[in-house]
Amino acid sequence: MKNKTQFLQTGTGNIQILTLLIFIIGFVFNGCTALQEAQKQRQKRLDERRKVDQLLLTASDANIVVTPTPVDDKPHGESDHYTLTFADDLLVKADFDEEEERELFAKSALSYMESLYNALHNIFGFKPKHKIHVTLYDLYQGTNRIAVTGTQYGYGNNMRHVSGIEMHFPMEMYARHEVRVHELTHAFTNIYYLPTWFSEGIAVLMQTEYAKGGGSPKYDSLKKSMKLDTNGINELENWGGHIESTALTPWRYSYAYTVVSELREQYGKELYIKLFELMEADQLHQKLYGSMPTSFLVYYMSQAAGRDLVPFFKELQFKVEKIEKDDIVEYVKQINEQYIRRHMH
Amino acid sequence: MTEENRVHSLNYLSFFGLILLAACTVSQQWSENYAIMHGVKSNDPVIIDGNLNTVGQSQFSKSSGAIDLDIRKNSESVIMLPAKKKIYRVVIHSSNLEDFQLLALNTMGEWDQIHDHRSNKESVIDVRLKRSVTTDGIKLVVRKTSDDAARRRENMKYERENEVTSGGNVRRGRNVYKISGNLKAPAQIAEIELFGYADSTP
Repeated sequence: MKNKTQFLQTGTGNIQILTLLIFIIGFVFNGCTALQEAQKQRQKRLDERRKVDQLLLTASDANIVVTPTPVDDKPHGESDHYTLTFADDLLVKADFDEEEERELFAKSALSYMESLYNALHNIFGFKPKHKIHVTLYDLYQGTNRIAVTGTQYGYGNNMRHVSGIEMHFPMEMYARHEVRVHELTHAFTNIYYLPTWFSEGIAVLMQTEYAKGGGSPKYDSLKKSMKLDTNGINELENWGGHIESTALTPWRYSYAYTVVSELREQYGKELYIKLFELMEADQLHQKLYGSMPTSFLVYYMSQAAGRDLVPFFKELQFKVEKIEKDDIVEYVKQINEQYIRRHMH
Repeated sequence: MTEENRVHSLNYLSFFGLILLAACTVSQQWSENYAIMHGVKSNDPVIIDGNLNTVGQSQFSKSSGAIDLDIRKNSESVIMLPAKKKIYRVVIHSSNLEDFQLLALNTMGEWDQIHDHRSNKESVIDVRLKRSVTTDGIKLVVRKTSDDAARRRENMKYERENEVTSGGNVRRGRNVYKISGNLKAPAQIAEIELFGYADSTP
């Protein structure tokens, strides 16, 4: 009995020691985890502080061939993804009237643009199939304040395809790296025939948040800054695009950017990458004649976000309806039939 | 040992010491140019493409919104390395750089000045740092270029602020400075090269 009591006492002692050990080990491990977490947080804070508030790019190793005085309307320079031409009004300027100056500029410009191309390719995960034809001017369409990216489309086998991409920059605009990012974003995303407001919103997002440039400020509130047309539809949906210049244009750039940025903040940085992946998988955009309706875009956006975004757009007075993929297929079919009928007549 | 022998011995020692030092110096080689390593980034990638036949520019950072500050802002060239390197020497190939500072990113994410250069007239500026710096970020802050005066003339005009009256007459106004852009020109930079010693551990 005495032995049993001793045994029980020893057992109790062992249990106490064991509990203490477990407690110490737990404390140490927990301490380690807490320490690791604190170190992680510190590193995050340091990384945040170390972020340079400028667009940083890696150098390109693209092949660049420059012909300072080309013949037969050939470009002045060509690289893996671009051709570069100096417009006549630029060639008479003091900085471009000598072969050496043109050669140096063309080589340097193509080297920069190739770096930017690689960076955007890494971000979007896709790239245009064609070379981008860049033309530099002193004045484009009589002004040095507007840069334009144009995409030419061709049709065949009931499919639309991109047949060429052109970028036009007055030198004043080309000198600003955020404008290059804005225009190159168009060159990349135009292959999806996006609604103007979304295409411009994405371009301003890249210009502002990726290239760290200024230009179109973001609104604090989408509801408060909303502008409606006489039919009560959000003015963003009536946007004609780059060339259009009205009193509403600055608002449209800012508002489109705010919508696009707001959704990205809510549904994650990968939202638009997923959106393009989903559209690429279905290839329905290629069967569209004309620009993409917002409901079409919102269907894919909802799929990418994992949540129905129709109420979000309805609240902002966009003309959108909740549709499914079958509706899109039917819509595309109808559009194609109309197009064929029109062409047969 | 006589006094004469002692002097001789000391002379021999000094001589061998000098030879040893010379041998060490001769064998010390510069490392590869860290700026053209894989994964290096810059705010103008043309200055790190390893090609002296392409020319990039120092960049002005985002507008602060205050025009009087923005027009006098210094432009910068930033190079970020994928890993920390011990840097002893910075070579800048620039046609118009006059006054500038070199800064290095420290572990706290702040930029420390490592060199200050004034009144440069050379197109290849070979900077040997007084002390080596172990960093993964180098920044060149351009204070003055030889193109600043031309840029100022271009972007700052002294004009009379005349007014057209309702009767169609022109009323002479006061003279004012009209500023249309930055008053400083960016540096034209073909290449920025960063070196350590070949045998030094990075």
